[in-house]
Amino acid sequence: MSAESDEAFLARKAAKRQSRRGFVEEKAILGMTSLMDAITIIVVYLLKNYGSDPVVIAPTQGQKVPLSRADTPIQDGVPIYVSQKSITLAEKRVVQMDETGEIDPSALQGHLIGPLYDLLAEEADKAKQMAEGKGEEWEGRVILIGDQNLKFSVLVDVMYTAGRAEFREYAFCVVQQGG
Amino acid sequence: MGRKKFEEEEIEANLLTVMNIMLLLIPALLLAMEIARMAAIAVSPPKFAATADDNKEDEKKEKPLNLKVFIMEDGYRVSASGQQAGAEAGKSADSNSPTIALAKPGTSLEDFDRYDYTLLQAEARKYKDLFPHENVVTISAENSIPMQVLINTMDAMRGNDCKLIGAMTLNEEVPPECMFWQAIVEAGAG
Repeated sequence: MSAESDEAFLARKAAKRQSRRGFVEEKAILGMTSLMDAITIIVVYLLKNYGSDPVVIAPTQGQKVPLSRADTPIQDGVPIYVSQKSITLAEKRVVQMDETGEIDPSALQGHLIGPLYDLLAEEADKAKQMAEGKGEEWEGRVILIGDQNLKFSVLVDVMYTAGRAEFREYAFCVVQQGG
Repeated sequence: MGRKKFEEEEIEANLLTVMNIMLLLIPALLLAMEIARMAAIAVSPPKFAATADDNKEDEKKEKPLNLKVFIMEDGYRVSASGQQAGAEAGKSADSNSPTIALAKPGTSLEDFDRYDYTLLQAEARKYKDLFPHENVVTISAENSIPMQVLINTMDAMRGNDCKLIGAMTLNEEVPPECMFWQAIVEAGAG
């Protein structure tokens, strides 16, 4: 007897035994519809949450955003990340800080931070063109995402530079406390 | 010619590929979402600052307050209309001593609770009671003061129970709990 006929014989025997006991093996089909429903709901919810924020704030590594009881939502603007190590704009590390947390003196001309000014002026031009295209007035808002230990002098320099690049509204980004 | 017999067959949609995309989208969106709830504090540089109140009638009734808070390493110097609160008699300012001393003297600058925010808030309440239409405060600090202290000072001047979300997003009236909620950040004032 070949192995194939052996297998067939055993299968027939098993089927006979099962039919005698009134047991029929059914093929299980995985029902995906309910799972799909649940996942679709989650995806839609997450997409809605993601889309409702005008600006996505992603602090740089090691940056501790200050805490506050303020409850005003963040409005659209150009985010500037100012940590104790660097100043980052449009995902570009513009200025490096020294070990004391001060701006590298070679980048400073009085209160003006040269490399930051150049990039901010570019951003301002882009934002103005976009606003013009939409037929809206350019708000000129800058969002300063600072660090808890950031020195006041650095903050003033960044604000002064943004002002020179024609930005006229400033907002400090904070983490809502007890909110 | 005989009619062809059509038998309708049930075709099961292959959802596996869609499921794969959906399952990849979930962690991607979760990563993009902010974990901490962010908020914003609007600040103005001196030249763009709003006046205390746009209503001219109120201006006629009251003299402008010009409330200024200067954060020093050893406390707060609070002044209004050019007169420092708590200055020696006959002097407009007394640079030797702050108006509000530190709550925790001798601690490092990194200890953000070293300032007496409760007393500052009480001082702000006094001014607000005298000048109910004023809501502007000019805040300045010494170069070494950390940003968190500046934010805490703004919170204290605004008031603990101040909720501005309605006023900012729904054009509601600013609640009476909000004291000096329009902050002007100035360099080297005081």
